Amino acid sequence: MNYEFDWSLLLEEPNWSWVIEGIANTIQLSLVAWGCALVLGVLIGAIRMSKSRTLRFIGTTYVEIFRNIPLLVQLFLWFFVFPLLLPDDLMRAWNRLDGVPFLTALIGLSLFTAARIAEQIRSGISSIPKGQFLAAYSTGLTEVQTFRHVIIPYAFRVMIPAIASEFLTIFKNSALTLTIGVAEVTGAAKTIEAYTFRGIEAYSAASLTYMLTTASVVIFMGWLEHALRIPGLIGKR
Amino acid sequence: MTLPLVQINNLSLRYGNFVALDDISIDFMPGTCVVICGPSGSGKSSLLRCVNRLEDFGTGDVIFDGQSLKSAHNISKIRSNIGMVFQHFELYPHLSVMNNITLAPRYVNGINRDEAEAKAHKLLERVGILDQANKYPDELSGGQQQRAAIARALALEPKLMLFDEPTSALDPEMISEVLQVMRDLARNGMTMLVVTHEMGFARDVADEVVFMDKGKVIERNASGNFFDNPQSDRAKEFIDRVLQKI
Ligand SMILES: Nc1ncnc2c1ncn2[C@@H]1O[C@H](COP(=O)(O)OP(=O)(O)OP(=O)(O)O)[C@@H](O)[C@H]1O
Ligand SMILES: [Mg+2]
Repeated sequence: MNYEFDWSLLLEEPNWSWVIEGIANTIQLSLVAWGCALVLGVLIGAIRMSKSRTLRFIGTTYVEIFRNIPLLVQLFLWFFVFPLLLPDDLMRAWNRLDGVPFLTALIGLSLFTAARIAEQIRSGISSIPKGQFLAAYSTGLTEVQTFRHVIIPYAFRVMIPAIASEFLTIFKNSALTLTIGVAEVTGAAKTIEAYTFRGIEAYSAASLTYMLTTASVVIFMGWLEHALRIPGLIGKR
Repeated sequence: MTLPLVQINNLSLRYGNFVALDDISIDFMPGTCVVICGPSGSGKSSLLRCVNRLEDFGTGDVIFDGQSLKSAHNISKIRSNIGMVFQHFELYPHLSVMNNITLAPRYVNGINRDEAEAKAHKLLERVGILDQANKYPDELSGGQQQRAAIARALALEPKLMLFDEPTSALDPEMISEVLQVMRDLARNGMTMLVVTHEMGFARDVADEVVFMDKGKVIERNASGNFFDNPQSDRAKEFIDRVLQKI
């Protein structure tokens, strides 16, 4: 192969700004979407364990729909179809917002990941001994209080590895949002390639970003797991 | 005239087609300690779980302290007046012993943290594990865990305590420390329903023994009489079998 690498071009303007913007967008998108997905996923996971048949049905329907439609299709639906379904006024207001692609990506990623997290919450919660519920109810805690103070914190600690890997998934999935025009890392690499024909450098830089972030998340989650471990459940002191 | 604290009227419970409790009517007076015994699968745990409506019973009703559980809208409030202790302790593993005890007083009764901890302090002292307050359940021995669980159940100042085989999961050398705590409770006038195979406890501490088989109450007797002079053949057999084992 006879290719002359020119890494310095990544540091030239405007390429450098694109790289930085890409990294910032990716991290921002992943973190916010992950946070939303976590909250929503916990709610839906709890709903699926509820005594009410209607609530369980709503939860299951949600999970099945959002988990089984490919993310790319969901992003397109949110970006192209969803605004058409809005009343005219709302649609105009929506189109006039800044950063519609980013918001759309946020909605799409959050709802998709929430379904996956809800599923993990459910399996995490099913692994909790029935006696924990009985103990909590027997002291007069309501169903909501039982989940809030006993079941979810317990399940959460058991599920830290799964939730961490969901963050990594969302982080990698965020690359798909370039298809609806979000200037995240992969999008930035694509732009740089288009302007400089330096695809190898651009995509290498993008890959490095993903690798570094993944490594830091793995390290952070290892620390979190240790800090929140339940004695006897996840390693001993 | 004193009224019963617990009144069970024609209670039946099914799991699917299986009849776990078959038309049970019995009541328990305040201040008494009653041991419930019977062969495995006779419905002892199911009966206890009906007394605080952890099971949705089909027919019949349980009247606790004058309130019908079947029609109760504030079941959580009623449950907070009934402490329950389980075979496998069921302490919350992610909370320290202290927080295990203060959780319900804080969120059910709305007591502030300091007050709840001061109370928990006294309870831990009473069950003899004050020095374990800041440990996690898994760092305690079985006997200590069960005593912590008893403290947790007492934290809401219940009028009734339910024990479901509280010593069955314990190593022999830890059984007596738990029984000691229960004996003190009984002596101080707590109303207690205790499912146990500890016949020594039944004879020495309980006022009465209820013998169950196949979802029915077969016999109810003063504890002395139950062992010396059981009324039913099935109870006789059961006593022989249990005492032989010891
Ligand atoms: N959730 C359930 N679903 C189906 N059957 C159940 C359930 N819980 C209990 N049973 C059945 O009901 C019967 C009574 O159970 P229960 O646990 O009340 O008996 P027990 O007297 O406490 O027995 P043990 O001494 O073994 O604890 C048993 O035959 C049991 O198999
Ligand atoms: Mg039982």
